[in-house]
Amino acid sequence: MKIEELKQKMDESHYIYDDTLATVLFVALQLGRPLLIEGAAGVGKTEIAKVMATALDRDLVRLQCYEGLDESKALYEWNYQKQLLSIQVNMGSRDSEELTRSLFSDEYLLERPLLQSIRSEKPVVLLIDEIDKADEEFEAFLLELLSEMQVTIPEVGTIRAKSVPFVVLTSNRARPLSEALRRRCAYLYIQYPDMEKELAILKAKLPHVDDQLCAQVALTVQKLRSNEAILKKPSIAETLDWAAALDALGVRELTPDALRQTAGFILKNSEDMEILAETQSKDCGCGGHCGGHHHG
Amino acid sequence: MAVIAEDITMAEPVVYLEKLSAFSGMLRIGGLSVSPKETADACQILISLGMDDREQVKTALRTVYAKSREEQLTFDQVFDGFFISEEKMRKQAEEKALQEQQMRENIEALQKMGQAENLTEEQQYAYASLPAEERDRLEKLAQKYQGNSRNPDLYAGFIHSVFAKALLEQQIRMEDAAIGCQATDPELGLLYRDISNFSDTEIPKAISIIQTISRQINGELTAKRNRKGHSGKLEFRRTIRKGLETGGSFYRLHYKKKRGRRKHLVLLCDVSGSMVQFSEFALRFIQNLNQVSDNSKVFLFSEELFEADPFSLQNMDLFRNYVRDCGIYGKGTDLGTALEEICARKPAVLNQSTTLLILSDTKTIDQPRAIEALLKAKCQAGRLILLNPIPQSRWKHIRSIQTFSALCPMVCCSTLQELAAACRRLTC
Repeated sequence: MKIEELKQKMDESHYIYDDTLATVLFVALQLGRPLLIEGAAGVGKTEIAKVMATALDRDLVRLQCYEGLDESKALYEWNYQKQLLSIQVNMGSRDSEELTRSLFSDEYLLERPLLQSIRSEKPVVLLIDEIDKADEEFEAFLLELLSEMQVTIPEVGTIRAKSVPFVVLTSNRARPLSEALRRRCAYLYIQYPDMEKELAILKAKLPHVDDQLCAQVALTVQKLRSNEAILKKPSIAETLDWAAALDALGVRELTPDALRQTAGFILKNSEDMEILAETQSKDCGCGGHCGGHHHG
Repeated sequence: MAVIAEDITMAEPVVYLEKLSAFSGMLRIGGLSVSPKETADACQILISLGMDDREQVKTALRTVYAKSREEQLTFDQVFDGFFISEEKMRKQAEEKALQEQQMRENIEALQKMGQAENLTEEQQYAYASLPAEERDRLEKLAQKYQGNSRNPDLYAGFIHSVFAKALLEQQIRMEDAAIGCQATDPELGLLYRDISNFSDTEIPKAISIIQTISRQINGELTAKRNRKGHSGKLEFRRTIRKGLETGGSFYRLHYKKKRGRRKHLVLLCDVSGSMVQFSEFALRFIQNLNQVSDNSKVFLFSEELFEADPFSLQNMDLFRNYVRDCGIYGKGTDLGTALEEICARKPAVLNQSTTLLILSDTKTIDQPRAIEALLKAKCQAGRLILLNPIPQSRWKHIRSIQTFSALCPMVCCSTLQELAAACRRLTC
C-alpha cells in the first residue's frame, strides 16, 4: 500500500488527519510494527485504531487493560466445564490417554483477544488500550507477541500468527513503559489539535451543527487549552459532546450565559470552573463571536 | 559531520544504509539506544518513501528511531544537524572558523597575562567564551596586581582565585545553556530548566508535569509487588460454589489471597531558608504526591519538625498559607532533630512498609547528629530516598551532599526531567 492510498482510505472513513499522522501510520504498516500511541486523555488515540480498522477493512479486536489483567483474560483459558462434561460422558468409552489429549485441543480452548487476533484467518486490527494501566508482568508477557507474532501455550505449544494483525497500543503515560516494549514499537505522540483541525473534526462529526457555533466552540476550547491556569484541558471528545449539547439545547450562538450553563461538558473540576468564571468576567472566551452583548 | 540529503540518490539502497548507519551512530551519541534493526527499518522505509519531502522523511525516521517524547526531541536536534543543506553547512563552517579565531585570540591574551599555565584547557575555553566586559575586568585586575613586586606570591594567588571564581561561574552558565538549548519545545523546555528559575507564568505548566511525575513516583514506590500467588489457605466457600457449576467436581481449588502489605509514603520536606528558592516546587510536589498517594504523611522541617494537617493539603493555596503561618518557614535547617523526632514518634511513623522521601538540599547544622539520625531512620523505614533540588553538577562542591549521598540513595530533582528520569530508575 502506498501512502496516498492510505490517505485516500482515511478520507473515505471521514477521519481528519495531518501529514505526520498519515506518515507514522504508513511507516508502522509498512514495517509491520506495533504502533505505540501516547498523549493526553481524549486526544483521539483509541480512535486511530478504530479508523484504521475501517480504512483497512479489518475487524477490530480490543483488549482493554487494567490492573491485574492476566493471560486468562487476555490470551486464552481452558473451558473447564466443557472438559469435565467430556470426561464424564467419555469416561468408559475412550482410551484414557486419548481422552486426556483431546481435552487440550482447540475444542476446549477459549480464545481471548490476543489469541483471537493472531488466529484469525483475515488480518485484524488489535487495539491494546491503556497499556499503562496493566501490570509490568503483563507488559513483559506481551513482548513475545509483539516481536515474534507468536504466543506459547504450555499444553499446546507455540502458536504462530496465521495473519499479522496491525497492533495499536495506547498509553496515557500514567506510568513509564519498559524500554523493551518501546523498542518493539513505532512511536507516535499526539497533541491536542490546532484550531483548524478541531474545526474540521467538529464539522465532520457533527455536520448538522451550525458552522458559526462550531467556530465559536472550537475557538473557546482552543482558548481554554492555551490558558495555563486550566489544569484539566478539554479533550476532543469533550468538545464534540459540548457542541452536541449546545445544539441539542437549541443554542445558535455561544453567549456567556450559554457557556456558563454548559461549561460542565468541557471543564471537569471546580478550580477550572472558577478560573473560567474569572476569565468570563473579563472576556467571555468566545473571541467576540457572541456579537458583543457583554462587551458594553 | 554532516551529510547532504540531496546527494543521496534513491536508486542506491546501499547508500541509504551507509548514511543511515552514520545517522544511527549520531543518535547513539545523542543518547538514544538504536539497534541495527532500526537502521534496517529506516532504510526500508526510505526506499519506499523516497527523499523528496524532507518533513516526511523526518517524521518517518522519527517514528522508527524515537520511542518517547523526550527521544523525539533529541531525534529532531540530531536530524536537523545531520541532514542539512550545503549552503547552511558552508555558513556554519564560516561561523565556526570565525569563532575559533576569536577563541585563539582570547587564549593568546590569557597567555600574555601569564595566567594560561595555571588553568586547565577547559578553564581556558571558559575564559575565551566569557563576555568581553568580563574579560576586560579580569585583564585590568591582572595588570593592576601583577606589577606588585613586594609580595608576588600573595598577589598571584589572589589573581588566580578571582580568575577561578569567574571561570567556575562561566562553566556553570555554559552547562545550564547546554541543557537549556535542548529544550526548544516550550513544554518540554520546562523539563530541562532549573526548577528555581521557573517564572510565574510557567508554573501552571510545571504543575501538570509535577502531577504526572508525582503519580509515577507514587506508582513506583507503592506498587504491590509479588501480587501473584496465594496464602496457601483454601477458600472453602468459593471452591464449593465454583464446584457446583460443574456438578460438584472441584476442578479448581480456590485459595485465599496473600495479604498484601500496603506501602506507605512519609514525606519530609525542608522549608528552611536555603530552600526558599525551591519552595514553590517543593510544596507543589509534596502536595501533589500526597494527593495521589492514598496513605501518606507529610512532615515539614527547618529548625523544628511539624506535621502537616491533612486538611490543608487538599488545596495548594491553603497548604501554602498553612506552611507560611506555621512559623518554621525560612528558618535554619536541622535535619538531625527532624529525623530523630520522626523515629521516636509513637505510634511509629516508620516501619518496613514505609518509604521515607526527604526533599532537602542537605545543608544542615550539626551534621554528625543528622548522619546518625539518617542511619537510624534508614533502618526503621523500608526505603529512604533523598530528593535534592541542587543541580548534580554542583554536588561535588558541597560536602554535606557528598556525605549524605554515600549513606542513602540521592535523587537529583533540580529539573523536572531529572526527577522524571530518577523516578523511572526507582524500580531498579
